[in-house]
Amino acid sequence: MDIIFKIVAIGLITCVTTIIVKPIRNDFAILISVVGGLIILFLIINYLTGIFNTLQNIIGITNLNSSLYKILLKIIGIGYLIEFTAGICIDTGNNSLADKVLLGGKIIIMVMALPIITSILEIIMELLPS
Amino acid sequence: MDVDIIFKIAAIGILTAIIGQVLKQAGKDEISTLATLAGLIIVLLMVINLIADLFSSLKTIFNF
Repeated sequence: MDIIFKIVAIGLITCVTTIIVKPIRNDFAILISVVGGLIILFLIINYLTGIFNTLQNIIGITNLNSSLYKILLKIIGIGYLIEFTAGICIDTGNNSLADKVLLGGKIIIMVMALPIITSILEIIMELLPS
Repeated sequence: MDVDIIFKIAAIGILTAIIGQVLKQAGKDEISTLATLAGLIIVLLMVINLIADLFSSLKTIFNF
């Protein structure tokens, strides 16, 4: 597990470089922190594929509807993207813009989760005695 | 994916700051502004490439 040392090292290097560059050029310091975050994401993205393949195998064993699993995957992806973008917005000082990005992500996740909610409601309606 | 790009961006930032200062001292304000802008655009291009890579790999992983 030497990847954890890589992640720690990249985080520390990004912090130090940002501190050095910030008094000289403020805009470049923000870009450096963005790139540091991107590199850490690239390091962990291979592990994400392993996790999702295992989850896919488990879902295949349990005979669940795989469309629900795909919706869940998409929601997780949207969560990661929105969190990353909102973090950049907060770093650059645009707190209100970060709030709007988070609100947009929540609404998109709600829209994508509607089929799951309707299927749960249908199951409940079938269980209820008419 | 390596750490080189962080140092590259830091070096470009410091270099453009120095070049801008020198040009400003020499009285060429408009060229100094252009040099600063060019440095910013170069770094933005590097960052945009990284972001495009991230989006494409996320699309393949999460089946968008």
